[in-house]
Amino acid sequence: MSPTSLATARTRSLAGIVARGHVLVCTGTGGVGKTTVAAALAVAAAEQGRRTIVLTIDPARRLAQSLGLAALDNSPRPVEGVAGLDAMMLDMKRTFDEVIDRHAPSVGRSQRIKSNRFYQQLAGSLAGTQEYMAMEKLYDLHQTGIYDLIVIDTPPTRNALDFLDAPRRLTDFLEGRFLRMFLAPGMAAGKLASRAVGFGTGIFMRAASRITGAGVLDDLAQFFQSMDGMYEGFKDRAQAVYRLLQSPGSGFVVVATPDPPALREARYFLQRLAQDGMPTAGLVVNRVTPAPPEGLAALDAAAVRRTAAALEAGGPEQQAAASLLRLHAARRDVAKREGRAVSAALHGVDVPALVEIPLMATDVHDLRGLRLIAAHLIGPRP
Amino acid sequence: MELSSLLDPRLLLVTGKGGVGKSALAAALALAGARTGRKTCLVEVEGRQTMSRLFGTPPWDFDEREFRPGLWGMSIDPEASLVEYLDMFYGARRISKFVVGNPAVEFATTAAPGIKDVLLIGKVKEMERRRQPDGRFTYDLVVMDAPPTGRIVNFLKAPDATTELVNVGPIRTQAQTLVDLLSDPARTRMQLVTLLEEMPVQETVESVEALEALGVTVGPVLVNRVLADRFPDDAVRKALTDDLQADSLRALLAGAGLEIGADAAQGLLDGGLLHLDRLALQERMRAELDEQLALPRLELPFLHTAEFGADEITELADIVCEVVSP
Repeated sequence: MSPTSLATARTRSLAGIVARGHVLVCTGTGGVGKTTVAAALAVAAAEQGRRTIVLTIDPARRLAQSLGLAALDNSPRPVEGVAGLDAMMLDMKRTFDEVIDRHAPSVGRSQRIKSNRFYQQLAGSLAGTQEYMAMEKLYDLHQTGIYDLIVIDTPPTRNALDFLDAPRRLTDFLEGRFLRMFLAPGMAAGKLASRAVGFGTGIFMRAASRITGAGVLDDLAQFFQSMDGMYEGFKDRAQAVYRLLQSPGSGFVVVATPDPPALREARYFLQRLAQDGMPTAGLVVNRVTPAPPEGLAALDAAAVRRTAAALEAGGPEQQAAASLLRLHAARRDVAKREGRAVSAALHGVDVPALVEIPLMATDVHDLRGLRLIAAHLIGPRP
Repeated sequence: MELSSLLDPRLLLVTGKGGVGKSALAAALALAGARTGRKTCLVEVEGRQTMSRLFGTPPWDFDEREFRPGLWGMSIDPEASLVEYLDMFYGARRISKFVVGNPAVEFATTAAPGIKDVLLIGKVKEMERRRQPDGRFTYDLVVMDAPPTGRIVNFLKAPDATTELVNVGPIRTQAQTLVDLLSDPARTRMQLVTLLEEMPVQETVESVEALEALGVTVGPVLVNRVLADRFPDDAVRKALTDDLQADSLRALLAGAGLEIGADAAQGLLDGGLLHLDRLALQERMRAELDEQLALPRLELPFLHTAEFGADEITELADIVCEVVSP
C-alpha cells in the first residue's frame, strides 16, 4: 500500500459494512482483541436497528458475562441492554454431532459414527474442527433468515490462515483418498502391514502402525467406512459457505495489535484474502499508543528535552510539566515504532479501511467499553 | 521458591496468552542463561522466524547454530522431528523418504495436536538429555518458546487424552516419558509470561492452578511491559491531577521557552492522566497476583524505544542476570 492510500485507508471506517453487510468475520491471532472487536461491531449494528447476532468461540469470562453468555449452549441468547442483539457461544462437539446427523443417510449410521472413538477424538481436538464448525454455524444462522447481520469471531488459532484452510483440510482429510486406499472395507487393521497396496504405501503403513500401534487403525478403518458416501454432502456445504463468504455482503475484518508478529499474521491473512477473492472490510489495529495531537507531534524533540530539563528544578507543577513532556517523548518513540510496523505490514497490501484503536485505561468488558470501541470502528474519522 | 533460581532448571518452557510478548522474554531468558555461563539453546516452535528477526540473524532451521557466545538457536519443525524420530528409533531413512510431504503425515503433525506436541517436546527432551563424548551435558539450559498454555495443559492431561488416538505403540510410551520430564521439578519449569492487565492476569492465575494440579512446577511469573511511574512524588502527582489545567500548563511551558497550542497542552495532560490510569490498573493487578499466587515475580519494563530488537532483548536479559544466581 502506498503512503497516500495508507493515509486514505486511515480516514475510512467500518461504518458501511456495519450498516449494510450481512456477514462479518473477525480474524487475527490470539490475544489481539478479536472477540471484543466482534462484539463491538455487533453492538453498533444492533443500535442502528439491525437484527444482529454475534457468534463467539471462546470469550473472556467477563465479556461473556456482559453479553449474557453464562452457558456454552449453542443457542442464540438476547443481550440485555441492546435491543435486537443476540449472542451465542459455539459448542463444537454439539455442532459436529448436528453435522453428522444432517449428512448421515440413517439414524443407525449417525449413531455408529458418533460412538466411534476416532470420531470423538476428531470432534474434540482436531485442529481445524473449530473453524469448520464455526463455518457450519454461520451457514445455519444465515439460512434461518432471521438476522440482518451475523458477526463471527474466529477461533484463537495461532495461524490466522487456518481459518480459511481448515474446512478444505478437514474435507480433504475426511475424503482422504490416500488413507482410504489402505482402509478399504473388509480390510482388517492387522493385515494392513502385510498387504502390499504398493511399495510406498506398504512401507508407510508399516511405519504408521509402528508409530501409532495397530488399534488406532481399526478405529480409523471403521470411521472411514461409516463416513463413506457422506463426503459429497460435506463438500457441498463447505463450498456453499465459501461462496457465502465470497459474496459482496460479506466482509473480513482482520484484527491485530501494533506488535510485529501480530501484524505479520495480519499481512499474511490480508494477502490470502485477496488471493482467494474474499472481500476484505478492513484492518483493525487494537491497543495502539495514542498519537499525540498535531501541535505536539510537530514539536522539535530536542526542544522538548531542553524544556523538560529546565523545568525539572522547579516546583511540583514544573516537575509535573517536565514529566508530561518526557512521557510524551517516550510515547512518540513507541508510536513511531508502531507506525512503522503498521506501514510495513501493509506494504503492497490494499485495505479499504484502517482503524487504529488507542490503548484504553482499562480492559473492555462491558457494554460501555464496547460502545467506546464501536465509536472508533464506525465513528466519524478525522 | 526464590527468584534467583529462575535459570536453575535444565528446561524452561516459556508460555502465556497470545500477545504478552512471550517470545521476547524467552529470548531474554536464553541470553541471560548464556551470559551467566550456561551453555544455552533457544528453541522456537512453529515460528515465523520471530527469533532470527529479533536477533537480526539469518533465518533459523532445524540445525542448532551458535549465534552468540554460548547461545545456540534452532527452530523445530514437526515434520523434521518426525523424520529424525523415525531415524532414531528404526534407523529407517527409507521410511523417512516416504514420510516427507505425505498427506497422512501432514495430518498427523498439523491436524492432531497431540502427536505434534509429542514430536516437539520429544525433540526438546533429546536436546536436554544429550551429552558430549566426555559425558557432560551438551546444554546446561534449554529455553523453549513454547506453545500456548492451554495446549500444554492438554498435553499433560495427556497421555490418555491427547494420545487417545494412539493408545499403544512407541508414541504412547514416548508421551509418558515426556510427561515425566515436564513434571520433574529438578529438570523442568513452566515460565508464565503475563501483563499487568485483567485478561492476562486472570488467564495466568487459571494456568498456574491447572499446571500445578497436573504436577508441573511453575517458575517465577514473568511480568512483561510494566510501566514505570513517572509521577512517583506525591506533590508532583497532585500537581498533575488537581492543579494543572491546559491554560496553566501552556503558560508554564511558554515561560520555559516552549510555545504550544491549547490542543497540544490538553493532549499532554490527557497523556499524563492516561498514564495514571494505567498505573492504577497495574497496582490492582499486582494486588490480584499477590492474592491469587504464591509465586515470586520478575517485572520487566515496557521499553519506550523506537526499535525493538537485539538491544532491547539485551536490556531485558541484563535485568534477568541481576536477579539470578550464577
